[in-house]
Amino acid sequence: MNPTDLIGPVSPLGSPAPFWFITFFKVLGFILHMIPMNIWFAGMILVAVFAAFGKNHSLELAHRLSRTMPVIIALGINLGIVPLLFTQVGYYQFYYPAGVLIARAWLSVIVILIFAYYGVYVYSLGVRNGRRTKFALISAWVSSIAFIFVGFLFTNNFSLMANVQDWIHIYSRTSVGGAALGTGLNTADPTLFPRWLMMFGIAMTTTAVYIAFDATFLKKRDTSEEYRKWAGKFAFVFHTLGVFVFAAMGSWYIFGTLGKPVLDQLNHSPVMYFVFALTAISPGLVWIVMLAQRKSVRRNATIAAAVLQLVVLTLNAISRQWVQNEEIFKFERVSELPVRVQWSPLIVFLLLFVAGLAVVGWMVTKIVAVERSEAGV
Amino acid sequence: MHYPWWYVPNFTAPMLIAGIATIHVFVSLYAVGGGIVLAGEVSHAYRINDKSALDYLRTHTLFFILLTVVFGAITGVGIWWTIGLASPLATESLIHIFVFGWAMEYVFFVIEIVSAFIFHYYWGRLAPNVHATVGWIYAVSAYISLVLITGITAFQLDIGNWTPEKGMWSAFFNPQTIPQILARSGASLLLASLYIYLHAAFKLKNHPQLRSLIENRISKWGMASAALVTAGGAWWYVNIPESARSALAGASALNILTALIFLASAVVFFMLYFGPYRHPGWLNPGFAILYFLLGIAATGTGEFIREGVRKPYIVYNYVTGNNVLVSEIPKLQATGYLNGGVWTKAYMRQQYPRVMTTDGNIDYNKLLELPTTDQLRVGEVLFQYHCNDCHSTRGFSGIDRLTQGWNKDMVSTVVTHLDKAHFFMPPWCGNDTEAALLTKYILSLSEPAPPGMKFSYAGDSEDGSTTDVIAREEKNR
Repeated sequence: MNPTDLIGPVSPLGSPAPFWFITFFKVLGFILHMIPMNIWFAGMILVAVFAAFGKNHSLELAHRLSRTMPVIIALGINLGIVPLLFTQVGYYQFYYPAGVLIARAWLSVIVILIFAYYGVYVYSLGVRNGRRTKFALISAWVSSIAFIFVGFLFTNNFSLMANVQDWIHIYSRTSVGGAALGTGLNTADPTLFPRWLMMFGIAMTTTAVYIAFDATFLKKRDTSEEYRKWAGKFAFVFHTLGVFVFAAMGSWYIFGTLGKPVLDQLNHSPVMYFVFALTAISPGLVWIVMLAQRKSVRRNATIAAAVLQLVVLTLNAISRQWVQNEEIFKFERVSELPVRVQWSPLIVFLLLFVAGLAVVGWMVTKIVAVERSEAGV
Repeated sequence: MHYPWWYVPNFTAPMLIAGIATIHVFVSLYAVGGGIVLAGEVSHAYRINDKSALDYLRTHTLFFILLTVVFGAITGVGIWWTIGLASPLATESLIHIFVFGWAMEYVFFVIEIVSAFIFHYYWGRLAPNVHATVGWIYAVSAYISLVLITGITAFQLDIGNWTPEKGMWSAFFNPQTIPQILARSGASLLLASLYIYLHAAFKLKNHPQLRSLIENRISKWGMASAALVTAGGAWWYVNIPESARSALAGASALNILTALIFLASAVVFFMLYFGPYRHPGWLNPGFAILYFLLGIAATGTGEFIREGVRKPYIVYNYVTGNNVLVSEIPKLQATGYLNGGVWTKAYMRQQYPRVMTTDGNIDYNKLLELPTTDQLRVGEVLFQYHCNDCHSTRGFSGIDRLTQGWNKDMVSTVVTHLDKAHFFMPPWCGNDTEAALLTKYILSLSEPAPPGMKFSYAGDSEDGSTTDVIAREEKNR
């Protein structure tokens, strides 16, 4: 059977925005989502490990991470909705079938997230109230494992979207009376594990930069000089490990699993070749900055690391989007589907987006002022 | 049709939406109403410099965050997840129409999250006017989220003058939007005020002065909200499409529930007026629980009815409950339901290549030549894609019980005249051969009439013949 036979018809409503607009907000939303998501993806396991086995500074790190984690998770979950929304507009013919084929796992994300999030709160409130019970510790472990598993489920759906040739196999194995039971997973796809673990590698590097950032800027008065020295060193070590994981999994993904048509396309596109090369080496640039502040975190170096890490995430998001497009374009040129632009809602959204940023910015300036005044700055 | 159907044994996939939505709607309404009440009361407490009221209100914020930002946010995403799985075509359509509505909603949602955390974590650290302003930022953004989402759900019940050419605003400002916004605004304030009542009844037993203050102020919120629910509900009823009004009139359960909303709202209003508003200090835990349950009943019932009367559509006059575009129905009836569906056709091609023509379509004459077991399997496919959105085989709204005791003619007549048998069912979207196969499958599931039932009266003959026309027909055959 031709895999394209399983792709549903084009919506008669037409796309409400040009493809470039959808892609831009999908990528932008994904970058904004990745920052907090990376911190809980790799950071929660640090909380769990250090909460169980840590002493002094490592335990302090676990406490510091767990105190801010609820806010980070709330922001991350909500920012994650933006790329999902635009995925459903631009890639609906691929997103919905993939989701239905793995419906049980996909829906379980919601249940797992609720437990994981409350687990974080149990530990976080325990730390705040000075009552770190066994239950709180177990909650931290359950949450950290749950978040990593949720990452696995996400990778399943998003890799399956482009793995159209396997849809029929999963469907045949898991359907009842022609309807999908939703018990499938995309485990036969060779890209699944490297993609999942590659994101974990990036998450480790983002978490490392956050640890340095936290020690340098956030509640500086709470942290001792010794902690800042330790944090600089630990952040460097953790970042180094993250770079190794990213490099290993990225190599496995690109050279071991990526299809020849995509690689050929890459070789024929000098711009994307350059972007891919930058994506591959950019974590190394952050690593050099982290190396420079391994003896103690420093203001300028931390700012440089944070800005560069944002570049790393941006490049990653762009490269991922390009690969996704290339893989999906084999089946349907979604970029060329009919468009019926909804101009006035689009403009109102953009205005509200800017106004929303201004409101959030105003609130942030108020709390920064409070923090500075309490710190006596 | 366009997408694989998700089979949830004994339950049906769309019921999962109802399950998650029921939980979410209480929390999200509380998130909106609670935000408004908290912002209003905190501003008032700052203005009169009432420290005890501020301390009391502060106790609500952590619970507020744990319930709304965590549970409310994730179950909200959960609804989105579930509609994409259970009704992908309807979701695809709604997202194409309202993508910027949703995008705007998420702008406000992010503002909500940030302001909620700042409101809680910086309590006592921000200047009072700034703190109160942050509270109002939360309240306003949460309320705008409610307005935006209500416009979308209202559109599902009545598309008004919308056509694809007219775009989002025409869809958003449908006849249902403003009445539903009013009713939901009332419901959100009702839930929030009755929850604070409940809380105060238990937690402020030993603080009579503070309790009286809370009673007096919150009862005003409560009465206003009960009035809003009633006004919005009545306006909503006046504006609903004729089919929805008929559904309400025809279903006795919905009839009773509609009366219950108005009754519960009126009872809450008068109990608040004659109780804590006129006689502060009167509040006790028992009555507070009763109030709260009445509020839950009024809100939950309203939401249930709003969803229930939409049948047979998911998006009124645009997408049917079984995920078919209304505009596609004539073509499907002409060329066949199995032939018109992406996944049904793929199934047939894979399982029964012998019934496929060389140009890749289904040869319906050959379908009837299949062995009975295979015909039943094809009937099962038709059931999954045409009926399983509302009916399970055995379980929730099970077809085995709904057709209990029916004979072949009855099943066949209903299958081919679905919308005539019940106007809240979509029309039969297949051809005659498919109707025959679906009939066979349904009959294979159908339970026999319960034994032991007698309809013989004094005038019935002694040979055992009954007044049951069907049984007589069967016997004559």
